[in-house]
Amino acid sequence: MRMFHGMVLSRFAMEIATGCVTALAGAIISYGATEFGTGWDDAGPQPGYFPFYIGLLIVLASLGVVAQAFTQHRRTGQVFLTGEQAGRIVAFAGPMVAFVALCVLLGLYVAMTVYLFAVMTIQGRFKIPLAALVSIGTAIAFYVVMEVWFQVPLLKGPVEAMLGIY
Amino acid sequence: MENFSNLMTGFSVALTTYHIAIMGAGVLLGILVGVLPGLGAPNGVSLLLPLTFTMDPISAIILLTSMYWGALFGGSTTSILFNIPGEPSSVATTFDGYPLARKGQATHALTLAFLSAGIGALFGVLVITGLSSWVAKFALKFSSPEYFAVYFLTFASFVGMGSASPFKTVVSMMLGFGFATVGMDTISGSLRLTYEIPDLIKGISFLIAVIGLFGIGELLLTMEEGLRFDGIRARVSPREVLKTIATLPRHWVTLLRSCLIGCWMGITPGGPTAASFMSYGLAKRFSRRGKEFGKGEPAGIVAPEAADHSAGTSAMLPMLALGIPGSATAAVMMGGLMIWGLTPGPMLFIERPDFVWGLIASMYIGNVVAVVLVLATVPLFASILRIPFSIIGPVIVVVCFIGAYTVNSGTFDLWLVLAFGLVGYVFKKLDYPIAPLVLAMVLGDKAEDAFRQSMIMARGSLAVFWSNGLVGTIMTIGVLLLLWPLLAAGISRVSGGFGRTPSIRLN
Repeated sequence: MRMFHGMVLSRFAMEIATGCVTALAGAIISYGATEFGTGWDDAGPQPGYFPFYIGLLIVLASLGVVAQAFTQHRRTGQVFLTGEQAGRIVAFAGPMVAFVALCVLLGLYVAMTVYLFAVMTIQGRFKIPLAALVSIGTAIAFYVVMEVWFQVPLLKGPVEAMLGIY
Repeated sequence: MENFSNLMTGFSVALTTYHIAIMGAGVLLGILVGVLPGLGAPNGVSLLLPLTFTMDPISAIILLTSMYWGALFGGSTTSILFNIPGEPSSVATTFDGYPLARKGQATHALTLAFLSAGIGALFGVLVITGLSSWVAKFALKFSSPEYFAVYFLTFASFVGMGSASPFKTVVSMMLGFGFATVGMDTISGSLRLTYEIPDLIKGISFLIAVIGLFGIGELLLTMEEGLRFDGIRARVSPREVLKTIATLPRHWVTLLRSCLIGCWMGITPGGPTAASFMSYGLAKRFSRRGKEFGKGEPAGIVAPEAADHSAGTSAMLPMLALGIPGSATAAVMMGGLMIWGLTPGPMLFIERPDFVWGLIASMYIGNVVAVVLVLATVPLFASILRIPFSIIGPVIVVVCFIGAYTVNSGTFDLWLVLAFGLVGYVFKKLDYPIAPLVLAMVLGDKAEDAFRQSMIMARGSLAVFWSNGLVGTIMTIGVLLLLWPLLAAGISRVSGGFGRTPSIRLN
């Protein structure tokens, strides 16, 4: 993953960014709570009361995190992510996200076969017959454990429908 | 003696062939989960939980707790043989376990770890046996304000006693509460925080959060380090085991101290990770051979292992007796209890004594089964880590997503797991504690209900939390713990920076 070489994310920047994101999440929670009343009525606190103050606390604590970032992590040279690490993360997370997208489209069994096969051949440099054997074998093993043994049906897609497996 | 006869009844429940078989299966699955990176105890229990929905609750809890014991043992195996902690709570075991194994004494290190872990666990179960009825009887006096006060105390102790920045602990915990409020409100019936997204109506399951935060988050961290397993080969021979057993009495002081630390940290929400670090630190300070620590000192294995396991087991006490889990894994199990239709807390002791005492009895047997099985299967599980990571990695990912799908049979949850994985990765790297988030998600509804019921009882007056001695004391301790970071900062300023409190990592 040479293209990520030298890209560095500092701890300070990441602390600030995370603080802002959690503050935003807090604001969204508080805003969502206003819909149900954040005060009191004769039955005690209204449904929005609890979430409203939770959101508020998140915003306040996030501001505290940001402030602490300035006092503790500024100009310390702490690194959050090096270029090499970013490369490894992308190499691992990329196929994983693709796997989830495939799951939604084709069901879990087909997606896991494709995912395992792709990672084994492209990243693991295994020979194609071995990779095919392992990936198809894994899918069958999971089918037996989940559907036959535990009787928990997993998501299936068009391929299973074509083969007549439900 | 009432406890003793109850325990005997419990043994008659737990000592059936079916339950022993379940223990064996649970322990083996647990060791597997503990050995594999990215899969840990909380996450493993979450993955297995949906498969137990149709089981009888006693068998289900025996399966899950056995898996927990197995995972704790599996975590120690990789710590010693690979210098890779399979569980956060076995990090301290790597300090002396791996050096001792490198000296060619891998078997000695492993046996010592497993035996002290087993002793720690049995100590924890003894404490549970002795205290649980008493705690449950005490808790029967509780009504809503007292319950809210205990929840408050639990969460305040995370803020006050954690080593993480108190702001980060609050952010993590409150996000957990926020996620818990999504969906149907149990008191008013209104649909909260759904933002017109139909998938959010049924709420966000804590299982999804655990699988993402602990599973995918942990995997991302492992991958980033550029994983390489340089394992030490070990074969466990019975003679070697007996020799190690003979050396155990030498460590009795360390064992006793570690067990006590473990029980304390397990019952209060410190958890096994904090317990093992603290126990290691104290063992090093009090040992005459303190300088040898870190170079393969046997006491440096005994201390964290015994504390880890006694904390892991005793974390079940507050969960059963009060309905407050002492660790992330116990939180997941408590969620399971609620799904099986049981209410954790004092009433459980009255309504389902067979469940409570069957579980406690199964802990005795389960831990013995676990020690035997883990000794017998070390070479097998160590060889799993020699499978190339380009196979194991994706398989772990697949297991996590299958587990996530089985929770609700919805594809939306798969995306949520990815999102929680990202959160877990970033939070871990920035030292946000994750356990409070999980605890808050499990306890969120109950804490809110307790608060709102107290407010209804008291017509909106906060004075209800100081209305009698019991609730007032709990609340006051909670407030003090919450303010502890401020107090400590104040004290250290007054005494010129001398009084810095020793901090503990909560996980």
